[in-house]
Amino acid sequence: MLLLQVLINGLLLGGLYGLMALGMSLIWGVMNIVNVAHGALIMLGAYLAFWMFTLWGWDPFLALPAVIVALFVYGYLLQRFLLNLVVRAQLFLTLLITFGLEVVMINVARMLWSSDLRQVTPAYAGANFAVGGLTIPYVRLWVFVTTAVLSVIFFVLLERTRLGRAIRATSEELRAARLAGIPVAHIYAVTFGLGAALAGAAGGLWGMLFPITPVMGGSLTLKSFVVAVLGGLGTMLGAVVGGLVLGLAESFTATYLGPTYPNAISFGLLVVILIVRPTGILGRAGSR
Amino acid sequence: MNRRTTCVVMLVLLTGLAAPAIVAAADEIVLGAAISQTGKYAREGKFYVDAYTLTVDAINKAGGVKVGGKPYRVLLKLYDDQSDPNLSVRLFTRLVTSDKVNFLLGPYSSGITIPASAIAEKYEIPMVQGGGASGKIFDRGYKYIFGTLPKAELYFQAAVELAAKLTPPARTAALLYSNEAFDRSVAEGARQWLKDARIDKVYDEEYQPATQDFTSILAVIKTKNPDLVLLAGHEEGALNFIRQSQAADLNPRMAVFTVGPPTADFRKTLGKAAEYIYGITPWLPEMSAGGEIFVSAKDFDKQFQQRFGYAADYHVASGAADVLVYKLALEKAGTLDPKKVRDALAAIDADTLYGHVKFEATGQIAIPQVVVQIQNGAPVPVFAGGKMAGKALYPTPRWSERK
Amino acid sequence: MRGGRAARLGVAAAVVALIAAAPGVASPFIVQFIINVFLLAILAESWNIIGGFTGYASFGNVAFLGIGAYTTGILLTKASLPLAVALPAGGLAALLLAAAVGLPILRLKGHYFAIATLGVAETMREVVYNVEITGAGTGLVMPIARNPLLFFYLMLGILVAVTAVNWWLANSRFGYGLVAIREDEDAAVAMGIPTALYKTIAFALSGAFCGLAGGVFAYWITFIDPDAVFKVIVTIQMIIMAVFGGAGTVLGPLLGALVLASVSELLSTQVVTLAELFYGVIVILVVLFMPKGLVDVIRRRAFSARAVAATLREYRI
Repeated sequence: MLLLQVLINGLLLGGLYGLMALGMSLIWGVMNIVNVAHGALIMLGAYLAFWMFTLWGWDPFLALPAVIVALFVYGYLLQRFLLNLVVRAQLFLTLLITFGLEVVMINVARMLWSSDLRQVTPAYAGANFAVGGLTIPYVRLWVFVTTAVLSVIFFVLLERTRLGRAIRATSEELRAARLAGIPVAHIYAVTFGLGAALAGAAGGLWGMLFPITPVMGGSLTLKSFVVAVLGGLGTMLGAVVGGLVLGLAESFTATYLGPTYPNAISFGLLVVILIVRPTGILGRAGSR
Repeated sequence: MNRRTTCVVMLVLLTGLAAPAIVAAADEIVLGAAISQTGKYAREGKFYVDAYTLTVDAINKAGGVKVGGKPYRVLLKLYDDQSDPNLSVRLFTRLVTSDKVNFLLGPYSSGITIPASAIAEKYEIPMVQGGGASGKIFDRGYKYIFGTLPKAELYFQAAVELAAKLTPPARTAALLYSNEAFDRSVAEGARQWLKDARIDKVYDEEYQPATQDFTSILAVIKTKNPDLVLLAGHEEGALNFIRQSQAADLNPRMAVFTVGPPTADFRKTLGKAAEYIYGITPWLPEMSAGGEIFVSAKDFDKQFQQRFGYAADYHVASGAADVLVYKLALEKAGTLDPKKVRDALAAIDADTLYGHVKFEATGQIAIPQVVVQIQNGAPVPVFAGGKMAGKALYPTPRWSERK
Repeated sequence: MRGGRAARLGVAAAVVALIAAAPGVASPFIVQFIINVFLLAILAESWNIIGGFTGYASFGNVAFLGIGAYTTGILLTKASLPLAVALPAGGLAALLLAAAVGLPILRLKGHYFAIATLGVAETMREVVYNVEITGAGTGLVMPIARNPLLFFYLMLGILVAVTAVNWWLANSRFGYGLVAIREDEDAAVAMGIPTALYKTIAFALSGAFCGLAGGVFAYWITFIDPDAVFKVIVTIQMIIMAVFGGAGTVLGPLLGALVLASVSELLSTQVVTLAELFYGVIVILVVLFMPKGLVDVIRRRAFSARAVAATLREYRI
């Protein structure tokens, strides 16, 4: 019974990890930008949901669309007017500039909202239901369902719409895309906006489960790396698979090894995967 | 190196030299501290800021501190350590070397007090702190550190005794503690008390202080079905644990927390979920304690509530005692010399609003603790001095059975 | 020019002597400040070895600072060894870690290498958090050292050493080999350069100096815990200082550290958050406007707006 409970816990959380990593994988796959500020975007989404809940009483699930739109706009502007300026520089420089962005975002958040821990606690926060000896908190279940829905919407967007095709074309062959008349600067910005929107949504959901602080993003960026690399960089499905795998790994480690080990295991896993199979579970050899 | 750049750099360095130091005026005594005003200890840190402020103002209103016949005003210089021990060390170093304060008050939490007290010892300036209880603060042979919280290792002793005495007595226990100085000390002690009470320890795990997700932990504890749950952690951790234990439907007969229950902020945040929880405190407003400036514990609580709008708890009383103790020591020593004041502190033996203050040779106070239980939103003493002091609502009803 | 080199060395020696005399005149507060600048300069110059010369941008060098700090700390507290033993041990531990980690990781390129090093740093932090001997979450309190001058001269000594190593790299076959790896690794392999060996040595050297700095740092601030010595912001600081000054040059990182650390320390007397914010903004500005560093800008006299625009045109979409 414990085994099953641990499994369920791992899957529920893993879904959220997958959503987090989707945004990072998208940006990495299309523009070869490793967005170290990813966690900070998640943090912004969490704070946005928190303030809407605290100031206006909006239920965090219902506030999600607003968070998504806000982060999309923010991400679009960031890419269009800042990151587009360096997107063809050496990899190390784009990494560095997103690092700088992360530090700026975290410290602005600290100055505006202080380091105090915040939490979104709607009335149904503690509610759970029992089924066959398992206890499942409602909030976790709904978070999982939401991540599934958002992921599906995202895949449909990427595979079935003109915008999605344009994004995929740009990622595959920049010059050809340009020749085909695709406004690359705009597409890049839309891509980053989408990535930011996904991060923001993940943040809004995360904030329902865990306390929110300006520095919460750091470990989430790293977890997103682990998930993206684990699943296979550049493959969106890989992000989802990687997320579930990480969620399960953490859940099992915390239960059977001890609560202080999950982080060590995640980061250790990252290093091992990079050495042994950098293309990840679903990645193709030779892909970026 | 470009000449122009050299000049710019020199200029920059010289401006640094001009950084002003705050030197106290002739008849002022400055008490300095870096305290957690933001970050994970922000809740508890605020208690100390408010306590220090109230006590300093009360002392000044009553004529200040008389040293060698001359009256001195007391000033506070406080920094925010953002709940970061490294920042705390830097700030205390700044307080001593740059701001040149006279004496030091303490930060909150053993984890921060352990390194901060090393600064006091290094520069030979006394520090009286009321926020760190771990024995590790006091077992290094330091001469300049004093503490008004009783020893961490003793925290769970009374609670475990109580658990063994109630009907039906607790037979099994789960021990969970944070990977931090104070909580590890509490856990060390707890293992001994459980052994003494012949309670079977079925779970004994440490969690990372930054842990927000207790789901796996709770799942495992549930399978062990302990009668007694002991959690050593700070307020944030306790809050999360309780909320998630409600979601996970964990129902021990008795749950005891090191930090939280005696504190109004904790009870308010949890609301109904706080009922039946047990806590530990060395101080309650109803205690018969009193001394200079504040004639009774109740009077202190009243003044505090009037000024800050929330009820005082033992953190607040402890912080107030720290400031008071300086007044007493300074008046006894008759000088501002740190070494002589240090000796006067070591010899203190006085009644205060916080109880009787007397430091042991290590510098830590020795006062008894009371086990309280939250009943109808208020902390009710149920066990003190080895015997029952009130009625405990035991065993704790299941989450599903509470209204 | 031979004569030119001798003259340059003479000037360098004079400057060092001047700095060494500083504690005699400056206030204790300023001395503390200078020690901090030295520390950052050491880290920047260390990073320069692997990031600047070899072109392998490590984002996890703080791991070596941490290992050095903890090794020295543990030997000082648990084994009661003197600093003269504990400090070199810290440097050695860091060197060995860098070599061991470098062997598998240096096979990765670009982003993968950067993230792997980041992963190593984070893993080290978590491991230290969990192990008893490091004091776990409680950290380590060092024996109290009452002589601030000790740290001043130790840091100065290490800084001179690491700068000398950088200078040696700029003037030796080994160094040229590293640059060849940076510019075109496949060609370097074709030329017969033992790239794996060279990269590992560079990484090990880089780690060793970070470790030595870590050891002194631990003793200096009297207290370390995992969050203190495995801070990600420290990695950003050392990279940006090196890049700001000029990655791959000898004095660039030193210059970058001097300028950026000074301004940051001034800011942090006000609010620490402001100092961090400053770093973030500087990073963004530097990447946008002077990615090749201050030394390059000064050398090419490229102060004009036109030069900046040219850089942007090269990188933008």
